[in-house]
Amino acid sequence: MREKKVCSGGAGMISVQNVSKNYGPLRVLHNLSFEVRKGEVLGFLGPNGAGKTTVMRILTGFFPPTEGKVVVAGVEVSRAAREFKKHIGYLPERLFLYPDLRVEEFLDFVAQIKGVPRKERKRDIEEKMSLCGAESVAKRKIGHLSKGFLQRVGLAQALLGDPAILVLDEPTSGLDPRQIIEIRELIRLLGRDRTLILSTHILPEVSAVCERVLILNQGRIVAQGRPDDLEKRLRDRREVLVRVRNQGEEQKKESVGQVLLSIPGVESLQKLAQEDSVSSFLLTTTLDDDLRSDISKRLVEAGFPLLEISTKRLSLEDIFLKLVVSEEPVEAA
Amino acid sequence: MTGAWAILKKDFGSHCRSWVGVLSTTAFLLIAGIFFTVFLFAYSQVSLEAARQSYEGIEGLNLTVFVLGTFLSNLAIILLFLAPLFSMRSLAEERRIGTLELLYTYPLSDLEIVLGKYLALLAKFGLIILPTLSYLVVLWILGATLDLGVFFAGLLGLVLLAATFLGIGLFFSSFTDNQMLAAGLTFASLAGFWVGEWFTSFLPSPWDSRIAVLSPFVHFRDFSLGIIDVKDFAYFLCTIGFFFYLTLRSVETRSWKG
Repeated sequence: MREKKVCSGGAGMISVQNVSKNYGPLRVLHNLSFEVRKGEVLGFLGPNGAGKTTVMRILTGFFPPTEGKVVVAGVEVSRAAREFKKHIGYLPERLFLYPDLRVEEFLDFVAQIKGVPRKERKRDIEEKMSLCGAESVAKRKIGHLSKGFLQRVGLAQALLGDPAILVLDEPTSGLDPRQIIEIRELIRLLGRDRTLILSTHILPEVSAVCERVLILNQGRIVAQGRPDDLEKRLRDRREVLVRVRNQGEEQKKESVGQVLLSIPGVESLQKLAQEDSVSSFLLTTTLDDDLRSDISKRLVEAGFPLLEISTKRLSLEDIFLKLVVSEEPVEAA
Repeated sequence: MTGAWAILKKDFGSHCRSWVGVLSTTAFLLIAGIFFTVFLFAYSQVSLEAARQSYEGIEGLNLTVFVLGTFLSNLAIILLFLAPLFSMRSLAEERRIGTLELLYTYPLSDLEIVLGKYLALLAKFGLIILPTLSYLVVLWILGATLDLGVFFAGLLGLVLLAATFLGIGLFFSSFTDNQMLAAGLTFASLAGFWVGEWFTSFLPSPWDSRIAVLSPFVHFRDFSLGIIDVKDFAYFLCTIGFFFYLTLRSVETRSWKG
């Protein structure tokens, strides 16, 4: 394996700064900024149409952003488009390869374009084919390959020339469950010694592969963090907003806060505001059940008039509803 | 420029294996062979007749111009039909199947993509034109005295004409993902030059020559008579350059589809 080029300016392999993208009058990315560290496996999660592919295309130099700049390995993309593309291996979401070429012919074509020296070409191609499990189809025409093998050839072409960064756009879309598991296994392996950026609309895929996730919705980053944290936040949390008149609280046995916290399922409580004798609380509940009836019942019993109660939908939850959150288990064959 | 070379090799290889490539090459060679034979027989008949009746000006009857000149002019007309077939796939097919997205993300400049594509088209033309050189050998075996200068001037003209046609074809192939549309537009514009040239004869002077000068066929005619004129040469180079530039600009505009 060739040594990766270390970029100047710290551990940031990719730095995206205030990037926006317009398609004609339509703005599809809004002021995106994020960093990707060297060796990191970053996932882009978002529903279809969130702008993931657009981000991938900007990162791979397919087209430039309308505003903002992208710095890869210390090189600003727009300044040295060719130079920077050598650092990037790309697997597009909808992978189309030349159907009339044999797999090894195609990979030779790509290796040549990527500037792999003639002497190393054969070895590089064989190495990448075996890494991706595509050696058995080396002599087959691309047009005759199954989707699973096509994806393996797609990964092999991305890996040719040993780019330091791999960009995979929905790498498991259109595959059957067994193929998905195999490709994910491969991606995890590839992420060990490379910077890897992956986009998906499947939550468990991110958890399975990525160290960090950016959640993208309508062209904006709406959340980021470790996948298990995000997943937890998305899965188990519901927020309930409660407004209570707490007049004469001092004379009662317990305060409003104590009453609310004593309800089973309420995990934490945050006092939002106090206007005259009205208090607003934001409760975080750990259970999936709707606690509103319990809450109103307990408050009334304790003698606090309830003015308003509503479940506050997390903004993430909206996105989450559009994501694929679970997968059917695959039976081992 | 290794990228351009890789594209050239891939495109040319695909062409040689595709039915369009095999059929068009076979058809061209067949038609060219028939033309050549017909002109050769016509010449032998005319010269025999002329010798028998001892026409005046028999000295002016020149095998090279009569057979090869006419032959090359007729190839030019065949090219009118063949060039759109050759060029239609070039970029339109990459756009249609989506491989252009991959090319855009490889370390390739747009110039390399267009250059590779264009050189592949010239190579396809080379593949059909090189075998016709064997006709020279046939004439030589028959004992004909040939004016090679005239022939090669005509051949140069044909190459420049083909390069122009293919340049126009590549341009039309660059902004659509529909091969048929690319072929249709290329054919329409080439046929427009061809037919348009006839109509210029109805125009009053000096407009007839001013408009006729736009047609590549007019410039090819001098070459086919063995005349290499800088004007004609410059016309072809400028036209090729113009369409190459347009193709480059068209490739620079990324499609958002796909």
